[in-house]
Amino acid sequence: MSHKVLVGYFDSEDRLLAATRAARAANLPVHDVYTPYAVHGMEEALGLRHSRLTWVCFAAGLFGLLSAVSLQYFTSVVSWPLNVGGKPFNSAPAFVPVSFELTVLIAGLVTVAAFFLRSWVLPGVSAHALPRVTNDRFALAIATEVARFDPDEASGLMRRHGAVETELAEVAR
Amino acid sequence: MNVQPLALLDRPVRLWVQGLGVAGALTLAGGLVVAPAEAWTSVLVNAFFFLSIGVGSAVFLALMYVANAGWSAAIKRVPEGLAAYVPAGAGTMLFLLLGAGTLYPWAHAAEAATLGDKTRFLNLPAFAARMVAILALWTLFSRALRARSLQQDVDGSVRHTERNVATSAVFLLVFALSFCLACFDWLMSLEPHWFSTIFGLYNIAGMLCATTCAITVATILLMRAGRLPGVTESHLHDLGKLMFGFCTLWAYMWISQYLLIWYANNPEETSYFLARSTGGWSLLFWLNLVLGWALPFLMLLPRPAKRSATNLLWASGFLLTGRWLDLYLMAAPGNSAQSPGLGVLEVAGAFAIGALFVLAVTRALSSAPLIARGDPYLTESLHHHA
Repeated sequence: MSHKVLVGYFDSEDRLLAATRAARAANLPVHDVYTPYAVHGMEEALGLRHSRLTWVCFAAGLFGLLSAVSLQYFTSVVSWPLNVGGKPFNSAPAFVPVSFELTVLIAGLVTVAAFFLRSWVLPGVSAHALPRVTNDRFALAIATEVARFDPDEASGLMRRHGAVETELAEVAR
Repeated sequence: MNVQPLALLDRPVRLWVQGLGVAGALTLAGGLVVAPAEAWTSVLVNAFFFLSIGVGSAVFLALMYVANAGWSAAIKRVPEGLAAYVPAGAGTMLFLLLGAGTLYPWAHAAEAATLGDKTRFLNLPAFAARMVAILALWTLFSRALRARSLQQDVDGSVRHTERNVATSAVFLLVFALSFCLACFDWLMSLEPHWFSTIFGLYNIAGMLCATTCAITVATILLMRAGRLPGVTESHLHDLGKLMFGFCTLWAYMWISQYLLIWYANNPEETSYFLARSTGGWSLLFWLNLVLGWALPFLMLLPRPAKRSATNLLWASGFLLTGRWLDLYLMAAPGNSAQSPGLGVLEVAGAFAIGALFVLAVTRALSSAPLIARGDPYLTESLHHHA
Protein backbone atom coordinates (compact mmCIF):
# COMPACT_ATOMS: atom_id res chain seq x y z
CA MET A 1 0.00 0.00 0.00
CA SER A 2 1.49 3.31 -1.00
CA HIS A 3 1.08 6.67 0.68
CA LYS A 4 1.04 10.16 -0.73
CA VAL A 5 3.34 12.33 1.35
CA LEU A 6 4.89 15.76 1.38
CA VAL A 7 8.66 15.27 1.53
CA GLY A 8 11.16 17.79 2.82
CA TYR A 9 14.81 17.15 1.94
CA PHE A 10 17.54 18.19 4.37
CA ASP A 11 21.30 18.15 3.99
CA SER A 12 22.27 17.25 7.56
CA GLU A 13 21.01 14.98 10.29
CA ASP A 14 20.93 17.83 12.82
CA ARG A 15 18.49 19.83 10.66
CA LEU A 16 16.39 16.73 10.11
CA LEU A 17 16.26 16.02 13.84
CA ALA A 18 15.28 19.62 14.62
CA ALA A 19 12.62 19.62 11.88
CA THR A 20 11.19 16.30 13.05
CA ARG A 21 10.93 17.50 16.65
CA ALA A 22 9.33 20.76 15.49
CA ALA A 23 6.87 18.94 13.22
CA ARG A 24 5.71 16.70 16.04
CA ALA A 25 5.52 19.64 18.41
CA ALA A 26 3.36 21.48 15.83
CA ASN A 27 1.13 18.40 15.63
CA LEU A 28 1.91 17.75 11.95
CA PRO A 29 1.11 14.19 10.80
CA VAL A 30 4.69 12.88 10.50
CA HIS A 31 4.66 9.79 8.29
CA ASP A 32 8.29 8.69 8.52
CA VAL A 33 11.87 9.78 7.92
CA TYR A 34 14.30 8.36 5.35
CA THR A 35 18.03 8.60 6.02
CA PRO A 36 21.22 7.11 4.56
CA TYR A 37 22.15 5.68 7.98
CA ALA A 38 20.67 5.27 11.45
CA VAL A 39 20.45 8.74 13.02
CA HIS A 40 21.04 8.80 16.79
CA GLY A 41 18.16 10.32 18.70
CA MET A 42 15.69 9.81 15.86
CA GLU A 43 13.58 7.26 17.72
CA GLU A 44 12.92 9.82 20.46
CA ALA A 45 12.35 12.59 17.92
CA LEU A 46 9.80 10.43 16.10
CA GLY A 47 8.31 9.23 19.39
CA LEU A 48 8.71 5.59 18.35
CA ARG A 49 7.68 2.94 20.83
CA HIS A 50 10.20 0.38 22.03
CA SER A 51 10.65 -2.39 19.46
CA ARG A 52 8.74 -5.61 20.10
CA LEU A 53 11.45 -7.56 18.28
CA THR A 54 13.20 -8.26 21.60
CA TRP A 55 10.23 -10.36 22.72
CA VAL A 56 10.33 -12.34 19.48
CA CYS A 57 14.04 -12.94 20.14
CA PHE A 58 13.42 -13.99 23.75
CA ALA A 59 10.60 -16.37 22.83
CA ALA A 60 12.64 -17.88 20.00
CA GLY A 61 15.63 -18.32 22.32
CA LEU A 62 13.45 -20.05 24.89
CA PHE A 63 12.00 -22.27 22.17
CA GLY A 64 15.53 -23.10 20.97
CA LEU A 65 16.63 -23.97 24.48
CA LEU A 66 13.63 -26.21 25.13
CA SER A 67 13.89 -27.98 21.78
CA ALA A 68 17.63 -28.56 22.29
CA VAL A 69 17.11 -30.04 25.73
CA SER A 70 14.20 -32.24 24.64
CA LEU A 71 16.05 -33.37 21.51
CA GLN A 72 19.08 -34.42 23.53
CA TYR A 73 17.02 -36.02 26.26
CA PHE A 74 14.99 -37.99 23.75
CA THR A 75 17.96 -39.18 21.68
CA SER A 76 20.37 -40.00 24.49
CA VAL A 77 17.98 -41.25 27.19
CA VAL A 78 14.75 -42.50 25.59
CA SER A 79 15.36 -43.51 22.01
CA TRP A 80 18.98 -44.72 21.87
CA PRO A 81 20.80 -44.73 25.22
CA LEU A 82 24.58 -45.04 24.77
CA ASN A 83 27.07 -45.53 27.54
CA VAL A 84 29.71 -42.83 27.01
CA GLY A 85 32.61 -43.17 29.41
CA GLY A 86 30.34 -44.49 32.16
CA LYS A 87 28.41 -41.22 32.42
CA PRO A 88 24.71 -41.27 33.23
CA PHE A 89 22.51 -41.16 30.11
CA ASN A 90 20.89 -37.98 31.35
CA SER A 91 23.99 -35.79 31.87
CA ALA A 92 23.33 -32.07 32.06
CA PRO A 93 26.96 -30.94 31.43
CA ALA A 94 27.05 -32.84 28.14
CA PHE A 95 23.85 -31.11 27.02
CA VAL A 96 25.15 -27.58 27.65
CA PRO A 97 27.08 -26.91 24.39
CA VAL A 98 24.26 -28.05 22.09
CA SER A 99 21.64 -26.23 24.18
CA PHE A 100 23.69 -23.04 23.98
CA GLU A 101 24.24 -23.30 20.24
CA LEU A 102 20.61 -24.09 19.38
CA THR A 103 19.36 -21.27 21.63
CA VAL A 104 21.59 -18.75 19.87
CA LEU A 105 20.95 -20.16 16.38
CA ILE A 106 17.16 -20.25 16.61
CA ALA A 107 16.94 -16.90 18.41
CA GLY A 108 19.14 -15.31 15.74
CA LEU A 109 17.44 -16.79 12.67
CA VAL A 110 13.88 -16.21 13.92
CA THR A 111 14.67 -12.60 14.90
CA VAL A 112 16.09 -11.81 11.46
CA ALA A 113 13.17 -13.58 9.75
CA ALA A 114 10.65 -11.72 11.93
CA PHE A 115 12.31 -8.42 11.10
CA PHE A 116 12.21 -9.09 7.35
CA LEU A 117 8.59 -10.23 7.53
CA ARG A 118 7.40 -7.31 9.61
CA SER A 119 9.18 -4.74 7.43
CA TRP A 120 8.17 -6.72 4.31
CA VAL A 121 11.68 -6.93 2.90
CA LEU A 122 11.24 -10.10 0.91
CA PRO A 123 12.47 -11.56 -2.39
CA GLY A 124 10.39 -10.18 -5.25
CA VAL A 125 9.23 -7.14 -3.31
CA SER A 126 10.73 -3.96 -4.70
CA ALA A 127 10.32 -0.42 -3.54
CA HIS A 128 11.88 2.77 -4.86
CA ALA A 129 13.75 4.94 -2.44
CA LEU A 130 13.28 8.69 -2.51
CA PRO A 131 16.05 10.38 -4.52
CA ARG A 132 19.43 10.64 -2.75
CA VAL A 133 18.23 9.35 0.65
CA THR A 134 20.60 6.42 0.27
CA ASN A 135 23.42 8.89 -0.35
CA ASP A 136 23.54 12.37 1.17
CA ARG A 137 19.96 13.54 1.74
CA PHE A 138 17.75 13.24 4.80
CA ALA A 139 14.03 13.19 4.09
CA LEU A 140 11.10 13.97 6.37
CA ALA A 141 7.73 12.78 5.05
CA ILE A 142 4.47 14.35 6.22
CA ALA A 143 1.28 12.37 5.59
CA THR A 144 -1.11 14.18 3.26
CA GLU A 145 -4.09 11.85 3.46
CA VAL A 146 -5.22 12.93 6.90
CA ALA A 147 -7.57 15.74 7.89
CA ARG A 148 -5.06 17.76 9.90
CA PHE A 149 -2.62 18.02 6.97
CA ASP A 150 -2.06 21.60 5.86
CA PRO A 151 0.35 21.83 2.87
CA ASP A 152 1.39 25.43 3.48
CA GLU A 153 2.02 24.93 7.18
CA ALA A 154 3.98 21.72 6.58
CA SER A 155 6.23 23.02 3.82
CA GLY A 156 6.68 26.33 5.65
CA LEU A 157 7.82 24.58 8.81
CA MET A 158 10.25 22.36 6.94
CA ARG A 159 11.70 25.30 5.00
CA ARG A 160 12.11 27.24 8.22
CA HIS A 161 14.16 24.33 9.57
CA GLY A 162 16.49 24.28 6.60
CA ALA A 163 14.79 22.02 4.04
CA VAL A 164 16.59 22.47 0.73
CA GLU A 165 13.52 21.33 -1.17
CA THR A 166 9.96 20.13 -0.58
CA GLU A 167 7.85 18.08 -2.94
CA LEU A 168 4.84 15.77 -3.08
CA ALA A 169 5.82 12.14 -3.51
CA GLU A 170 4.49 8.64 -3.20
CA VAL A 171 6.22 6.17 -0.90
CA ALA A 172 5.61 2.43 -0.73
CA ARG A 173 5.57 2.36 3.07
CA MET B 1 30.75 22.50 34.77
CA ASN B 2 32.24 21.71 38.15
CA VAL B 3 35.75 20.40 37.60
CA GLN B 4 37.21 21.29 40.98
CA PRO B 5 38.75 18.35 42.80
CA LEU B 6 36.90 17.85 46.09
CA ALA B 7 36.97 15.34 48.89
CA LEU B 8 34.55 12.56 47.98
CA LEU B 9 34.02 11.00 51.38
CA ASP B 10 32.37 13.02 54.13
CA ARG B 11 34.38 13.02 57.32
CA PRO B 12 32.04 10.67 59.27
CA VAL B 13 31.99 8.21 56.37
CA ARG B 14 35.78 8.26 56.14
CA LEU B 15 36.07 7.67 59.86
CA TRP B 16 33.73 4.67 59.57
CA VAL B 17 35.77 3.24 56.70
CA GLN B 18 39.01 3.77 58.61
CA GLY B 19 37.51 2.28 61.78
CA LEU B 20 36.20 -0.82 60.03
CA GLY B 21 39.52 -1.19 58.22
CA VAL B 22 41.53 -1.02 61.45
CA ALA B 23 39.12 -3.40 63.21
CA GLY B 24 39.40 -5.82 60.28
CA ALA B 25 43.20 -5.57 60.24
CA LEU B 26 43.44 -6.22 64.00
CA THR B 27 41.09 -9.22 63.79
CA LEU B 28 43.09 -10.53 60.85
CA ALA B 29 46.36 -10.04 62.74
CA GLY B 30 44.93 -12.08 65.63
CA GLY B 31 43.82 -14.72 63.13
CA LEU B 32 47.32 -14.97 61.68
CA VAL B 33 48.48 -16.13 65.12
CA VAL B 34 45.54 -18.36 66.05
CA ALA B 35 44.55 -19.90 62.70
CA PRO B 36 47.31 -19.05 60.20
CA ALA B 37 46.06 -21.16 57.26
CA GLU B 38 42.55 -19.65 57.29
CA ALA B 39 43.83 -16.13 57.93
CA TRP B 40 46.37 -16.23 55.09
CA THR B 41 43.69 -17.62 52.78
CA SER B 42 41.57 -14.60 53.70
CA VAL B 43 44.51 -12.28 52.92
CA LEU B 44 45.03 -13.98 49.56
CA VAL B 45 41.37 -13.90 48.51
CA ASN B 46 40.77 -10.29 49.53
CA ALA B 47 44.12 -8.93 48.36
CA PHE B 48 43.68 -10.55 44.95
CA PHE B 49 40.00 -9.59 44.69
CA PHE B 50 40.71 -5.87 45.11
CA LEU B 51 44.03 -5.88 43.25
CA SER B 52 42.42 -7.53 40.23
CA ILE B 53 39.76 -4.80 40.18
CA GLY B 54 42.55 -2.22 40.24
CA VAL B 55 44.60 -3.78 37.47
CA GLY B 56 41.37 -4.66 35.64
CA SER B 57 40.51 -0.97 35.50
CA ALA B 58 43.83 -0.30 33.81
CA VAL B 59 42.92 -3.07 31.35
CA PHE B 60 39.52 -1.45 30.82
CA LEU B 61 41.27 1.84 30.00
CA ALA B 62 43.68 0.04 27.68
CA LEU B 63 40.78 -1.65 25.85
CA MET B 64 39.12 1.75 25.37
CA TYR B 65 42.37 3.26 24.07
CA VAL B 66 43.18 0.54 21.55
CA ALA B 67 39.57 0.52 20.33
CA ASN B 68 39.64 4.34 19.95
CA ALA B 69 36.44 4.31 21.98
CA GLY B 70 34.75 7.68 22.27
CA TRP B 71 31.85 6.95 24.59
CA SER B 72 33.96 6.26 27.67
CA ALA B 73 35.93 9.54 27.73
CA ALA B 74 33.44 11.19 30.10
CA ILE B 75 33.78 8.42 32.70
CA LYS B 76 37.44 7.53 32.23
CA ARG B 77 38.51 9.20 35.48
CA VAL B 78 36.57 6.45 37.27
CA PRO B 79 38.67 3.51 35.99
CA GLU B 80 41.75 5.72 36.35
CA GLY B 81 40.87 6.25 40.00
CA LEU B 82 40.29 2.52 40.53
CA ALA B 83 43.58 1.73 38.76
CA ALA B 84 45.37 4.07 41.17
CA TYR B 85 44.84 1.35 43.79
CA VAL B 86 47.37 -0.92 42.04
CA PRO B 87 50.47 0.20 44.06
CA ALA B 88 48.63 -0.22 47.39
CA GLY B 89 47.15 -3.51 46.18
CA ALA B 90 50.62 -4.65 45.17
CA GLY B 91 51.64 -3.98 48.78
CA THR B 92 48.90 -6.29 50.08
CA MET B 93 50.08 -9.04 47.73
CA LEU B 94 53.71 -8.58 48.81
CA PHE B 95 52.52 -8.91 52.43
CA LEU B 96 51.29 -12.36 51.41
CA LEU B 97 54.90 -13.42 50.81
CA LEU B 98 55.24 -13.62 54.60
CA GLY B 99 52.55 -16.29 54.63
CA ALA B 100 53.58 -18.16 51.48
CA GLY B 101 55.36 -20.79 53.57
CA THR B 102 52.13 -21.50 55.46
CA LEU B 103 49.75 -21.21 52.57
CA TYR B 104 51.37 -23.09 49.70
CA PRO B 105 51.86 -26.86 50.00
CA TRP B 106 54.87 -26.82 47.64
CA ALA B 107 56.72 -24.78 50.28
CA HIS B 108 56.69 -27.79 52.62
CA ALA B 109 59.52 -30.26 52.09
CA ALA B 110 57.29 -33.35 52.40
CA GLU B 111 54.83 -32.13 49.77
CA ALA B 112 57.56 -30.77 47.51
CA ALA B 113 59.13 -34.22 47.35
CA THR B 114 56.00 -35.51 45.58
CA LEU B 115 56.04 -32.75 42.96
CA GLY B 116 59.14 -33.73 40.99
CA ASP B 117 60.29 -31.16 38.46
CA LYS B 118 57.49 -28.76 39.39
CA THR B 119 59.60 -27.56 42.31
CA ARG B 120 62.02 -25.92 39.88
CA PHE B 121 59.15 -23.51 39.24
CA LEU B 122 57.30 -23.69 42.54
CA ASN B 123 59.83 -22.60 45.17
CA LEU B 124 59.86 -19.54 47.39
CA PRO B 125 62.65 -17.50 45.70
CA ALA B 126 61.22 -18.01 42.22
CA PHE B 127 57.68 -17.36 43.47
CA ALA B 128 58.73 -14.09 45.14
CA ALA B 129 60.75 -12.97 42.11
CA ARG B 130 57.83 -13.59 39.75
CA MET B 131 55.42 -11.81 42.08
CA VAL B 132 57.65 -8.73 42.35
CA ALA B 133 58.13 -8.62 38.56
CA ILE B 134 54.39 -8.98 37.86
CA LEU B 135 53.38 -6.35 40.40
CA ALA B 136 56.06 -3.96 39.12
CA LEU B 137 54.77 -4.29 35.56
CA TRP B 138 51.16 -3.67 36.58
CA THR B 139 52.13 -0.64 38.69
CA LEU B 140 54.26 0.79 35.90
CA PHE B 141 51.64 0.50 33.17
CA SER B 142 48.65 1.62 35.24
CA ARG B 143 50.52 4.69 36.48
CA ALA B 144 51.71 5.60 33.00
CA LEU B 145 48.17 5.52 31.56
CA ARG B 146 46.81 7.73 34.35
CA ALA B 147 49.76 10.15 34.45
CA ARG B 148 49.48 10.98 30.73
CA SER B 149 45.73 11.43 31.02
CA LEU B 150 46.18 13.89 33.91
CA GLN B 151 48.93 15.71 32.01
CA GLN B 152 46.50 16.05 29.09
CA ASP B 153 44.16 18.04 31.35
CA VAL B 154 46.92 20.62 31.66
CA ASP B 155 48.21 20.94 28.11
CA GLY B 156 45.37 19.39 26.05
CA SER B 157 47.81 17.72 23.65
CA VAL B 158 46.53 14.85 21.50
CA ARG B 159 49.98 13.26 21.73
CA HIS B 160 49.11 11.89 25.18
CA THR B 161 46.21 9.95 23.71
CA GLU B 162 48.41 8.63 20.90
CA ARG B 163 51.10 7.51 23.34
CA ASN B 164 48.49 5.92 25.59
CA VAL B 165 47.15 3.93 22.64
CA ALA B 166 50.64 2.55 21.99
CA THR B 167 51.24 1.86 25.69
CA SER B 168 47.85 0.16 25.93
CA ALA B 169 48.60 -2.22 23.07
CA VAL B 170 51.80 -3.34 24.81
CA PHE B 171 50.08 -3.47 28.19
CA LEU B 172 47.26 -5.72 26.97
CA LEU B 173 49.80 -8.28 25.76
CA VAL B 174 51.90 -8.00 28.91
CA PHE B 175 48.79 -8.15 31.07
CA ALA B 176 47.28 -11.25 29.41
CA LEU B 177 50.48 -13.22 29.97
CA SER B 178 51.33 -11.86 33.41
CA PHE B 179 47.79 -12.24 34.75
CA CYS B 180 47.61 -15.88 33.66
CA LEU B 181 50.97 -16.48 35.29
CA ALA B 182 49.81 -14.71 38.45
CA CYS B 183 46.71 -16.89 38.63
CA PHE B 184 48.74 -20.06 38.14
CA ASP B 185 51.18 -18.93 40.84
CA TRP B 186 48.96 -17.38 43.46
CA LEU B 187 45.80 -19.50 43.15
CA MET B 188 46.30 -22.68 41.17
CA SER B 189 49.50 -23.67 42.98
CA LEU B 190 47.49 -23.93 46.23
CA GLU B 191 46.74 -27.42 44.94
CA PRO B 192 50.02 -28.06 43.13
CA HIS B 193 49.08 -31.46 41.72
CA TRP B 194 46.01 -30.08 39.99
CA PHE B 195 46.21 -28.17 36.73
CA SER B 196 43.89 -26.47 34.27
CA THR B 197 45.24 -24.63 31.24
CA ILE B 198 42.15 -22.42 30.96
CA PHE B 199 42.53 -21.26 34.58
CA GLY B 200 44.15 -17.93 33.61
CA LEU B 201 41.55 -17.09 30.97
CA TYR B 202 38.81 -18.10 33.38
CA ASN B 203 40.16 -15.58 35.88
CA ILE B 204 40.54 -12.89 33.23
CA ALA B 205 36.83 -13.28 32.44
CA GLY B 206 35.88 -13.05 36.12
CA MET B 207 38.19 -10.09 36.62
CA LEU B 208 36.78 -8.19 33.63
CA CYS B 209 33.26 -8.75 34.93
CA ALA B 210 34.09 -7.62 38.48
CA THR B 211 35.97 -4.60 37.12
CA THR B 212 33.03 -3.51 34.98
CA CYS B 213 30.80 -3.83 38.05
CA ALA B 214 33.16 -1.75 40.19
CA ILE B 215 33.39 0.95 37.50
CA THR B 216 29.60 0.96 37.17
CA VAL B 217 29.02 1.22 40.93
CA ALA B 218 31.56 4.05 41.28
CA THR B 219 30.09 5.86 38.25
CA ILE B 220 26.54 5.62 39.60
CA LEU B 221 27.57 6.81 43.07
CA LEU B 222 29.44 9.78 41.56
CA MET B 223 26.49 10.55 39.27
CA ARG B 224 24.11 10.52 42.22
CA ALA B 225 26.46 12.89 44.05
CA GLY B 226 26.25 15.17 41.01
CA ARG B 227 29.97 14.85 40.27
CA LEU B 228 29.70 13.55 36.72
CA PRO B 229 27.79 16.17 34.73
CA GLY B 230 27.10 15.02 31.18
CA VAL B 231 27.16 11.32 32.03
CA THR B 232 23.76 9.89 31.14
CA GLU B 233 21.96 6.60 31.10
CA SER B 234 23.46 6.03 27.64
CA HIS B 235 26.86 5.57 29.32
CA LEU B 236 25.26 3.29 31.91
CA HIS B 237 23.67 1.33 29.07
CA ASP B 238 27.11 0.65 27.59
CA LEU B 239 28.52 -0.36 30.97
CA GLY B 240 25.47 -2.61 31.43
CA LYS B 241 26.11 -4.25 28.07
CA LEU B 242 29.75 -4.90 28.99
CA MET B 243 28.66 -6.29 32.37
CA PHE B 244 26.15 -8.58 30.68
CA GLY B 245 28.72 -9.73 28.13
CA PHE B 246 31.54 -10.31 30.60
CA CYS B 247 29.37 -12.24 33.07
CA THR B 248 28.31 -14.51 30.23
CA LEU B 249 31.95 -14.83 29.16
CA TRP B 250 32.75 -15.93 32.71
CA ALA B 251 29.98 -18.56 32.59
CA TYR B 252 31.31 -19.73 29.22
CA MET B 253 34.80 -20.13 30.69
CA TRP B 254 33.32 -21.84 33.74
CA ILE B 255 31.56 -24.49 31.70
CA SER B 256 34.58 -24.85 29.39
CA GLN B 257 36.76 -25.69 32.36
CA TYR B 258 34.20 -27.90 34.07
CA LEU B 259 33.00 -29.76 30.98
CA LEU B 260 36.43 -30.93 29.80
CA ILE B 261 37.46 -32.13 33.24
CA TRP B 262 34.09 -33.83 33.76
CA TYR B 263 34.29 -35.58 30.37
CA ALA B 264 37.90 -36.73 30.62
CA ASN B 265 37.38 -37.94 34.19
CA ASN B 266 41.09 -38.08 35.09
CA PRO B 267 41.46 -38.42 38.86
CA GLU B 268 44.23 -35.80 39.08
CA GLU B 269 41.94 -33.24 37.42
CA THR B 270 38.56 -34.18 38.89
CA SER B 271 39.91 -33.97 42.46
CA TYR B 272 39.46 -30.18 42.26
CA PHE B 273 35.78 -30.29 41.35
CA LEU B 274 35.06 -33.30 43.51
CA ALA B 275 36.18 -31.41 46.61
CA ARG B 276 34.01 -28.43 45.69
CA SER B 277 30.81 -29.93 44.29
CA THR B 278 30.29 -32.45 47.10
CA GLY B 279 29.97 -32.13 50.84
CA GLY B 280 30.02 -28.82 52.69
CA TRP B 281 31.32 -26.78 49.76
CA SER B 282 28.61 -27.74 47.28
CA LEU B 283 26.11 -25.10 48.39
CA LEU B 284 28.64 -22.28 47.81
CA PHE B 285 29.78 -23.95 44.58
CA TRP B 286 26.30 -23.77 43.02
CA LEU B 287 25.51 -20.40 44.63
CA ASN B 288 28.58 -19.05 42.83
CA LEU B 289 27.03 -19.95 39.45
CA VAL B 290 23.72 -18.33 40.40
CA LEU B 291 25.31 -15.08 41.65
CA GLY B 292 28.04 -14.95 39.02
CA TRP B 293 25.84 -15.57 36.01
CA ALA B 294 22.30 -16.97 36.11
CA LEU B 295 20.65 -14.25 38.19
CA PRO B 296 22.49 -11.21 36.69
CA PHE B 297 21.96 -12.65 33.19
CA LEU B 298 18.18 -12.56 33.63
CA MET B 299 18.35 -9.21 35.45
CA LEU B 300 20.32 -7.55 32.63
CA LEU B 301 18.53 -9.11 29.67
CA PRO B 302 15.93 -6.40 28.84
CA ARG B 303 17.13 -3.11 27.38
CA PRO B 304 15.58 -0.83 30.06
CA ALA B 305 17.27 -2.96 32.75
CA LYS B 306 20.69 -1.95 31.45
CA ARG B 307 19.75 1.74 31.64
CA SER B 308 18.41 1.63 35.19
CA ALA B 309 20.98 2.71 37.78
CA THR B 310 19.21 0.84 40.59
CA ASN B 311 19.06 -2.40 38.62
CA LEU B 312 22.73 -2.07 37.66
CA LEU B 313 23.68 -1.55 41.31
CA TRP B 314 21.87 -4.75 42.30
CA ALA B 315 23.37 -6.74 39.43
CA SER B 316 26.84 -5.41 40.30
CA GLY B 317 26.32 -6.41 43.91
CA PHE B 318 25.45 -9.98 42.93
CA LEU B 319 28.29 -10.21 40.43
CA LEU B 320 30.91 -8.83 42.83
CA THR B 321 29.72 -11.24 45.52
CA GLY B 322 29.88 -14.02 42.95
CA ARG B 323 33.43 -13.08 41.95
CA TRP B 324 34.53 -12.99 45.59
CA LEU B 325 32.93 -16.36 46.20
CA ASP B 326 34.63 -17.67 43.05
CA LEU B 327 38.06 -16.67 44.41
CA TYR B 328 37.19 -18.05 47.84
CA LEU B 329 36.23 -21.36 46.25
CA MET B 330 39.53 -21.46 44.34
CA ALA B 331 41.62 -20.71 47.41
CA ALA B 332 39.94 -22.12 50.48
CA PRO B 333 39.08 -25.82 49.90
CA GLY B 334 42.72 -26.77 49.27
CA ASN B 335 43.80 -25.67 52.73
CA SER B 336 40.70 -26.03 54.84
CA ALA B 337 38.84 -28.90 56.40
CA GLN B 338 35.82 -30.67 54.91
CA SER B 339 33.46 -27.71 55.10
CA PRO B 340 33.75 -23.96 54.56
CA GLY B 341 34.92 -21.92 57.52
CA LEU B 342 33.42 -18.83 55.95
CA GLY B 343 33.21 -16.43 58.85
CA VAL B 344 34.99 -13.83 60.93
CA LEU B 345 38.39 -14.01 59.25
CA GLU B 346 37.03 -13.68 55.71
CA VAL B 347 34.91 -10.69 56.69
CA ALA B 348 37.83 -9.16 58.60
CA GLY B 349 40.07 -9.50 55.53
CA ALA B 350 37.41 -7.94 53.31
CA PHE B 351 37.06 -5.00 55.74
CA ALA B 352 40.79 -4.46 56.14
CA ILE B 353 41.75 -4.58 52.45
CA GLY B 354 38.39 -3.18 51.28
CA ALA B 355 38.93 -0.10 53.47
CA LEU B 356 42.39 0.38 51.98
CA PHE B 357 40.82 0.06 48.54
CA VAL B 358 38.06 2.60 49.24
CA LEU B 359 40.48 5.11 50.79
CA ALA B 360 43.06 4.78 47.99
CA VAL B 361 40.43 5.06 45.26
CA THR B 362 38.56 8.03 46.74
CA ARG B 363 41.88 9.76 47.34
CA ALA B 364 42.84 9.30 43.69
CA LEU B 365 39.38 10.37 42.49
CA SER B 366 39.55 13.49 44.66
CA SER B 367 43.00 14.46 43.48
CA ALA B 368 42.01 15.21 39.88
CA PRO B 369 39.02 16.73 38.05
CA LEU B 370 36.43 14.02 37.39
CA ILE B 371 35.91 15.20 33.83
CA ALA B 372 38.93 14.66 31.58
CA ARG B 373 38.61 18.02 29.89
CA GLY B 374 41.72 17.56 27.73
CA ASP B 375 40.55 14.29 26.18
CA PRO B 376 39.94 14.68 22.45
CA TYR B 377 37.00 12.27 22.69
CA LEU B 378 35.24 14.18 25.48
CA THR B 379 32.83 16.04 23.18
CA GLU B 380 31.91 12.81 21.45
CA SER B 381 31.38 11.12 24.79
CA LEU B 382 29.16 13.91 26.12
CA HIS B 383 26.96 13.50 23.02
CA HIS B 384 26.93 9.74 23.41
CA HIS B 385 23.65 8.10 22.55
CA ALA B 386 23.15 4.37 23.02
